[in-house]
Amino acid sequence: MAYDPRRVNTGSTTPQTPPPPPPPPPESASDMAATDTGAKDPLDSWKLKFCTVCASNNNRSMEAHLRLSAAAAAFPVISFGTGSLVRLPGPTITQPNVYSFNTISYNQMWEELHGKDERLYRSNGILNMLDRNRNLKWGPERFQDWVPGMPRVDHVSKGDKGALGTEAGVVDVIITCEERCWDAVVDDLMNKGNTLNRPVHVFNVDIKDNHEEALVGGNAILDLANSLNEAAVEQRTLHGPGGWENGTGAARQSFDERVPEILADWQAKNPNLPALWTLAWL
Amino acid sequence: MAQTADVANQLTQLNSARNLVLGDAALYPQIVNGILPIVGANSRLELRRWGMEFMAETFSSPVLATAQKEQLAPNILQTIQEILVLPESDTAVLGSLVQTAASLYPLVFRHIVNHPEDKKSWETMNAIKQDILRRMDSFPCPVKICCVKFLQRVVQVQTPGLISDPRRPEQNETSLAIVPRTHSVLAIPYLEAEASGLLDRLLDVFQEETSDPLLVNATLNCLAPLIRTRQSIANKIINAVVDFFPAKHVSPPITPATRVSVKSMERTARALLINIMKKNQNHPLFGRMQMYIERLMQSRLEVVDDVSRKRGLPSEPTDGLDSAKRARLDAETPPLLKIPPMAPGPASIDKLFTLTQDIGLSSFDVKQLPPDLVVKIAVPLLAQVNPTLLTQAVDAVRTRYQTITREQTLKRQQQHAAAADEDDDYEPEYDPMDVADNTSEQASAIAAEVADLQPDLVSLGPFVLPQPSPLSEEEAAEVGRSAVARVFSMINAAETDPSLAKGKTQQQLGFARLAGSTFDRDAWAVLLSRLATRAPAGLEGGGKVDSRRPTISDSIRQTLYRYILEDFRGRLNIAITWLSEEWYNDRVQMKAAATQRDQSDEEDDQEPVVPLHYDEWVVKLFHGFTTYLDGRDIKVLVRFLSEIPEVTLAILQMVAGLAKDPERVNLCVQALMYLTMFRPPAREMCLNTLEDVYQTYEESRPAAGKVLAKWRPQKQPAEANGTAESTPAPPQEAQASTAQ
Repeated sequence: MAYDPRRVNTGSTTPQTPPPPPPPPPESASDMAATDTGAKDPLDSWKLKFCTVCASNNNRSMEAHLRLSAAAAAFPVISFGTGSLVRLPGPTITQPNVYSFNTISYNQMWEELHGKDERLYRSNGILNMLDRNRNLKWGPERFQDWVPGMPRVDHVSKGDKGALGTEAGVVDVIITCEERCWDAVVDDLMNKGNTLNRPVHVFNVDIKDNHEEALVGGNAILDLANSLNEAAVEQRTLHGPGGWENGTGAARQSFDERVPEILADWQAKNPNLPALWTLAWL
Repeated sequence: MAQTADVANQLTQLNSARNLVLGDAALYPQIVNGILPIVGANSRLELRRWGMEFMAETFSSPVLATAQKEQLAPNILQTIQEILVLPESDTAVLGSLVQTAASLYPLVFRHIVNHPEDKKSWETMNAIKQDILRRMDSFPCPVKICCVKFLQRVVQVQTPGLISDPRRPEQNETSLAIVPRTHSVLAIPYLEAEASGLLDRLLDVFQEETSDPLLVNATLNCLAPLIRTRQSIANKIINAVVDFFPAKHVSPPITPATRVSVKSMERTARALLINIMKKNQNHPLFGRMQMYIERLMQSRLEVVDDVSRKRGLPSEPTDGLDSAKRARLDAETPPLLKIPPMAPGPASIDKLFTLTQDIGLSSFDVKQLPPDLVVKIAVPLLAQVNPTLLTQAVDAVRTRYQTITREQTLKRQQQHAAAADEDDDYEPEYDPMDVADNTSEQASAIAAEVADLQPDLVSLGPFVLPQPSPLSEEEAAEVGRSAVARVFSMINAAETDPSLAKGKTQQQLGFARLAGSTFDRDAWAVLLSRLATRAPAGLEGGGKVDSRRPTISDSIRQTLYRYILEDFRGRLNIAITWLSEEWYNDRVQMKAAATQRDQSDEEDDQEPVVPLHYDEWVVKLFHGFTTYLDGRDIKVLVRFLSEIPEVTLAILQMVAGLAKDPERVNLCVQALMYLTMFRPPAREMCLNTLEDVYQTYEESRPAAGKVLAKWRPQKQPAEANGTAESTPAPPQEAQASTAQ
């Protein structure tokens, strides 16, 4: 999984607005030098910022996190879980491995389960999954504990994948992986009081909680993200002064207006992943 | 200042500045003031975009203290106003600008409340507000969405909120309530009236003929804080939401995108109401909100399903006879097949299928040709058949066939009518002989009629269904078990079916009720227990089948047993019904065996064996739930012990066993006392058991002592042991049966 080269890439094409400023302050000088020779059109680097959510921030949201951050577009992405605790399968259905959010890292979980019963957790794919996760970010985070707008600069310096562009702690699109999570996210955003006055599209893509479905779902989420981003970038280019007059018909429609159609098209392509959407506030 | 080549450079510098403040919020004042001139109204688009987005981020940041934001606010107001009057046309800039204004509004408002002298800031803010509100409807969609939030913010600020602590004004939330009545700049009545108007404008989105899902969702999602913190307008908002049914606000062409929109609006409305209901269980509008949610679910089903269920044009004509109904898809008309009417005379299969009028062809016997030749001809011919011609031909045959059947049914009905006419004047008195005559007459009439119709219709030989292969014993048992399982599912269904009002009617019936007359849970339970007991009596396990294969009746018993144990408190009456049936069946069987023995006397050396089930199952069942009895279950225990048809020694010993648990000592003693008092046939046995308990378990002494003192004043411990062992069951049984 070659992430570092891509990180350098995104770092060098980061002149435009909010998403991808240079990583941590000390590195910024060298990055600036790179930018000078970099893209002349700042619009090239503008991207939607994503957030993926599932129950435990381990399987589905992390698979999507991987896909989005490793995509050609290298989307800025953060991820969360909405459950009360992180629950991983244990030796039997009544003995899950339970951890609390925000305080334990994927690495610790990996080491603990590796010590407990390597054969079991190797064969049910848990170790594999945790190994993927620990290469993506530090540990599972709980959605309800997230304070939108709280800077996440430290995540960039920690090397979290997809952290570039999410320094300001805000996102444009939230994608949940289960209807229960969508309900929890919409409800929690209402509870948070919408203090940022910033619109956010909340999607649900219903994915069963197993490794195979997560792979399929991750692919579909990336597909959705690409379509959304394409429309958003188009709006940014066309809706500049002058651009607005040039565009006609569908192109004149803004990104937001096209969301229901994009989702409907996507749904037609993915009839097995029932989708849901709303426009909420951070 | 902004030369094209420089822009990228400037942006990187700005970005590093932004990173600085994100790392350390203390730097905000310095950086914001430094950046403002660079990104002002005169700068290039890229810089304006960056600048406004940064401002939106800054003034909504949770890390920057409100006091600092308040200080920075006046500086930026000027820039915002300048950009707004440019006139700005970039969606991104406008969007961020409106977001910033929404964040600024409460800040400036609070600033003015505390500093009435800074009139200028308020005037600028007001001008921005008016400008945004005036242009809101002509803004592109993304900006309009942000305006919704701005509206919500203004309404929230200009409506009185809660004063949490009057002594500490700095902690109160920004709302109209913190404005002093004598404020020189802010006139409360005016602001409140304006807010009320703006609220109407905000809620107007629910009245539109065709809803814009973006605006509706944006509105729904920002209403929760208003409802939560603004008592005075909460009900108005809820009422507006509750009157909104997304499915009614869509214009006809229902595309997949419309469906996505409707679903999203419904789910968002539901999420909002659930959010409110969760926060306040005693909300006066709770019932209405609940009803709305239910109705929403229903209409959801209707709309979504209606659309999906609505059939498109049939891919092939479903009714090939009615050509008028077929859509004309092609201008090109297929060659019409000329179809002659069917040859007269009695119908036959070959007449039915003969479409040609060529006599030579129709009388040709294909059987004369060798089969391989037929195949050689038929296959290439079939490949070349014109589909429209084939359809026409098939339709023709179908029409003929339908005409024939119609004629024949008509004929039959006429005959029936004739037969019924005869019946019309029969005497109302019931005469079995008469009826029998009639039916036999009718039967013979029908038989005759069938007989003369059959050759007419199609000359087919008689058809006899082949005999099914006999069921093996396992299969029969399997089928039996599945039948039992279905009856159990009926019990469960009856249990969950709320429409069956339990109680009244049933209780009134009492003993007079017939088992299984009402289709409720009890009736099914009776049916099952009889299935288990009486139905297979004498059929199963007659001593010779020794293989321990479970019989049907035993599997029913097992299922009943498990079913009762699942919830023994609630299903106690089923248990009693069942055990009574078992007991009764045992009696009947014994009696039958006795008479049989009398008759056969000593001819057969084979003694009839009666398998008795009651003793086994009563103990099993009782054992099953004693484990779960707790100290307060006296009613359950007493009911069980008093209503089962026969109390045996084994049961009493298990009751005595309850006393092992100090918590259940009283349960044991009370149950025994009850039996002593109200079940005279078992009295002696109970008292013996009680004495045992008294002697074995110390904890029982106080309670058991009292009972014994009353019923057995002369304690005879030595005798107690002896009788307990030797108490014969039969006399007690006999008495119990009379008590039944």
